[in-house]
Amino acid sequence: MTSSTPTLAIRVLRAPRRPRPRLLYWTAVVVLAVITLAATLAPMLAPDDPDAVDFMSFLAPPSPAHWLGTDSLGRDILSRIIWGGRTALIGPLAVVVFSTIIGILLGLWAGWRGGWVDAALSRVFDVLFAFPSLLIAIMAVALFGKGLWAPVIAMSIAYAPFVARLTRSLVAAERTRPYVSAYRVQGFGGAWIALRRVLPNVTPIVGAQSTLNFGYVLAELAGLSFLGLGVQAPTADWGAMINEAQSGVAAGQLLPAIAPAIAVVLSVVAVNIIGEELSDRIGGENPA
Amino acid sequence: MSAARRVAGKLGGLLLTLFLASLLVFFSRFLVPGDPVSFLLRGRKPSPESVAAITAQYGLELPPWEQYLRWILGVLRGDFGRSLQYRQDVSEVIGDRLPVTLTLVVMAGLIIAVAGVAFGAIAALNRGKVIDRIVLIGLTVLGAIPSFVGGIVLIALFSVGLGWFPSFGSGDGFGDMIHHLTLPSIALALVFIVLVGKVTRSAMVDQLGREHVEVSTSRGVARQAVVRRHVLRNALGPILTVSGVLVAGLIVASSIVEAAFGLSGIGSLLVQSVDRLDFPVVQAIVLLVVFAFVVMNAVVDILEPWIDPRSAAGAGAR
Amino acid sequence: MNLLEIRDLTLDLPTGIRLLHGITLQVAPGETVGLVGESGSGKSVTARSVLGLLPDRAVVGGTVAVNGRSPLADAAGRQQIRRHEAAMVFQDPRAGINPMRTIGDHVTEALRLCEDWPAARARAKAVELLTAVRLPAPREHLDQHPHELSGGMLQRVMIAGALSASPKLLVCDEPTTALDVTTQSEIVQVLRELCANNGMGMLFITHDLNLAGSLCDRLVVMKDGAVVEEGPALRVLREPEAEYTRRLVAATPRITGPAAGSDDRSAAATEASASEPELVVSGAGKTYRRRGRTPVVAVASASLTIPRGGALAVVGESGSGKSTLARMIVGLEEADAGEIMVGGVDVSRASRSRAERLARAKRVQMVFQDPYLSLDPRIPAGRAVEDVLRLHTGLSGPAARSRAIELIQAVGLGEEHFAARPRTLSGGQRQRVAIARALAIGPELLVMDEATSALDVSVQAQVLDLVAGIRREQGLTLLFISHDLAVVRRVCEETIVMRRGEIVEAGPTEQLLRDPQHAYTRLLIDSVPAPA
Repeated sequence: MTSSTPTLAIRVLRAPRRPRPRLLYWTAVVVLAVITLAATLAPMLAPDDPDAVDFMSFLAPPSPAHWLGTDSLGRDILSRIIWGGRTALIGPLAVVVFSTIIGILLGLWAGWRGGWVDAALSRVFDVLFAFPSLLIAIMAVALFGKGLWAPVIAMSIAYAPFVARLTRSLVAAERTRPYVSAYRVQGFGGAWIALRRVLPNVTPIVGAQSTLNFGYVLAELAGLSFLGLGVQAPTADWGAMINEAQSGVAAGQLLPAIAPAIAVVLSVVAVNIIGEELSDRIGGENPA
Repeated sequence: MSAARRVAGKLGGLLLTLFLASLLVFFSRFLVPGDPVSFLLRGRKPSPESVAAITAQYGLELPPWEQYLRWILGVLRGDFGRSLQYRQDVSEVIGDRLPVTLTLVVMAGLIIAVAGVAFGAIAALNRGKVIDRIVLIGLTVLGAIPSFVGGIVLIALFSVGLGWFPSFGSGDGFGDMIHHLTLPSIALALVFIVLVGKVTRSAMVDQLGREHVEVSTSRGVARQAVVRRHVLRNALGPILTVSGVLVAGLIVASSIVEAAFGLSGIGSLLVQSVDRLDFPVVQAIVLLVVFAFVVMNAVVDILEPWIDPRSAAGAGAR
Repeated sequence: MNLLEIRDLTLDLPTGIRLLHGITLQVAPGETVGLVGESGSGKSVTARSVLGLLPDRAVVGGTVAVNGRSPLADAAGRQQIRRHEAAMVFQDPRAGINPMRTIGDHVTEALRLCEDWPAARARAKAVELLTAVRLPAPREHLDQHPHELSGGMLQRVMIAGALSASPKLLVCDEPTTALDVTTQSEIVQVLRELCANNGMGMLFITHDLNLAGSLCDRLVVMKDGAVVEEGPALRVLREPEAEYTRRLVAATPRITGPAAGSDDRSAAATEASASEPELVVSGAGKTYRRRGRTPVVAVASASLTIPRGGALAVVGESGSGKSTLARMIVGLEEADAGEIMVGGVDVSRASRSRAERLARAKRVQMVFQDPYLSLDPRIPAGRAVEDVLRLHTGLSGPAARSRAIELIQAVGLGEEHFAARPRTLSGGQRQRVAIARALAIGPELLVMDEATSALDVSVQAQVLDLVAGIRREQGLTLLFISHDLAVVRRVCEETIVMRRGEIVEAGPTEQLLRDPQHAYTRLLIDSVPAPA
């Protein structure tokens, strides 16, 4: 009895060939690189001290002295945006790294062992899924006070179950595949198969998903700062900047709000494009 | 196992989740080092009366398990304690603010359902063509606009610029409220439209590649009927599952939108309570969100046997 | 006028690759034509062109005419053909019937939506159709869902659905490939009857020469997108003219007539029967218990013996327990009862320590059915063999590499395949790698679990030759699991037949095939298609 998938020719004909959007992908990579570089080199790159007040101009329009103008407290917007990149990127990076590591380990354990380990961990994840990630971050702030680190740790805990669930289902599926049985028959031990052979097959897919999570976390942490619960004034942070500039929008003062808004959107778009492209490429490479 | 027993089993699981979540909500307070009274009364003058009141409210002299029991039994009766900032019952405070958030969430939900499924379907049915690319890129960009950014842009465009919609408050009366909540609900819906759109597209594309669609086409059934009866119908399952989960996220995300538009809803109450260190209110809202999540999941689980007959018999879905 | 007239049909992918190189074939009214070929021959694509099921992106040339109408020219013509002239039966009924809708919905869909039949009339017609395909309880089936029926029953439903519009031409694309051989013969019987009763013409696509020969009036043989031969079925099978057809016929195993490789077998057999037993299974059993369901007895109480250097086949259909038995012998499952001895060592219970695990691996190895999933997609072929060498022998570095290259060459691959990832290898090549990997350890017993079932006929013949050669050179003991009696005949001198977990018959292969004792064995043998 042969397998019943349609013949290769039919599959090729059915699958639409989406021309790989090279241009878009590389543009996104460049944008993200520029933002990261700017944030890293902020002390050298920013024209002014982000906290320095220019008593000559409040809410000034763009000028040679201030390329993007000044905000309501007389601070140079461009410098604040460059410096703001630091908090914007560090937070999500920490969350993604922590949640991916914890999630992969737990997911591997649950998916490989099955049985009560899987059942117990699934129950724990179910409870965590009931709390939207932003909510856990807000709870952490309620308990431990405002700032960046309480939400970051809380969000790492909130996102770990998503990573774990994906890892678990991938590992559980791989476990049934003949090549894993073949390893067993050849005499390889369970731990070796799981860590040295199954895990590397699974991590690319999980990694691609984590790249997408980076974008979500970035937006959520910015939102938290916007609410005044995350990064605190006077530290330059894009979300906080938008919060401060909000009242000015009704009065027609758009730039102090739009500039950081564009920074946020640009970063998230770039990360999402990269994440989606990675997911597509990796998904397509799996054995047909 | 009959369908009824499976559903009962799932509901039991959800109740267990709710119970465990309530434990998490209650005992999270214990993570904070130090004296519970000083934690609960942070930022306020700890007069002997207020200390006695907070001790009585939380039963702080009792052992932890009894404290929990007291609290959960109160919750089941609708008693969430007293708010520290308003000197009212928490249930009253929340009750006042609930209508605005509920309306906002329902409006956003409708936008998400209609726009998300529509975009996803358009992309799926035209996959590989230009319009698919446009929709996908459009969705990616849309999904990168956090709700507060979306709010600012919408205010700038439609409120300050065109003057079509107000930018603040929730208005009086039902019609006026809808008018006030239009921009906020759009801002709220943006990110979620992308989620639903993507799931719709991938579920439909998956079905379009399946053989039963080809079989139906080979019998001469018109394309439109094939899409309706076989593609959409089969894609409903994943779409509904994802949508059910979204609702809890919507309520929480509304906190950001409510702040941007100056609305007095649950979301802004949550932020305000965190800011003013009113822990009883925070606890109550968190529990409410979890409850909403569990209810939505229960609804999806109950509907599942109708959507996917295979699950009713316990056979796995492929 | 011919029912189906295909002339110089060409098909190109948008990338420029040509899939069909000018196909010409005809089906006369009431005639059954077999379209035979291996994978990649283009037979499925040709079949789909009859109903215009080719996606828009394909570039088509030549003509196709069904009763004079073309399915490729315009949409109206296509719909007319699909609704009244021709219908298709697809390979996998579980994929082809919407799992979320009822059987009744599937069978009556075209009638209700295309012909506007009222529900009651459509329902009555559905009962008629389900009875015609010999389903036991037509009225009950109407409201059931696909997951409640077996594969064989679902294929009948698919056929009933295809017949709902009373087509004049029935196109069947490998309709029995996914089914057991006994079910296959039932379905073929149903198709024969329906064609005879309704005067339908049939285009029957298959890779199985014997099946085509037993069912069809004429055969068309395809290879790499072109027709290499056509003619009356018996003539093509008995006196093939084209080189390819000759090779294909020679490679196709048969259960009667002279057996290929019989010299190999008899020589090995006489040597083997004289030696001590390599594998002894006594009363092995396995039962699966799941919560809330009745326990399933996968293997009841199996006993068998293979002498050193011998070859035993285990034949059965799905659910017979043959795979479970193999997995118990190899150590992937643990026997609940009974004893399994390999080379005098008791391996009945699972290995507890690393030493036990390695010792067991040195004794028994396995080659799996699916060539695509039994190799780690990330690991190149050579490295897979090296890993095994490193684990079991002390070899490492260049010594391991050169030994691995030796092993790869011994199975007929070249040094260039050492660094190749499985993705770039064909099915046959992957199975060779799997065999090399299994033999690298130097086991006494090799278990092949349907190892050639997923391969093309000609590739299968090559792999079986390879195995016979290795058996001869190394004195390997072989346990060969298969559902295919003809293949088994080529490889093993002893056979046991399993059914629902029990061994129903055992004995020398030739004798079993010539003079079966058990009714089930007889049924199996009768179900194997043989050119009339």
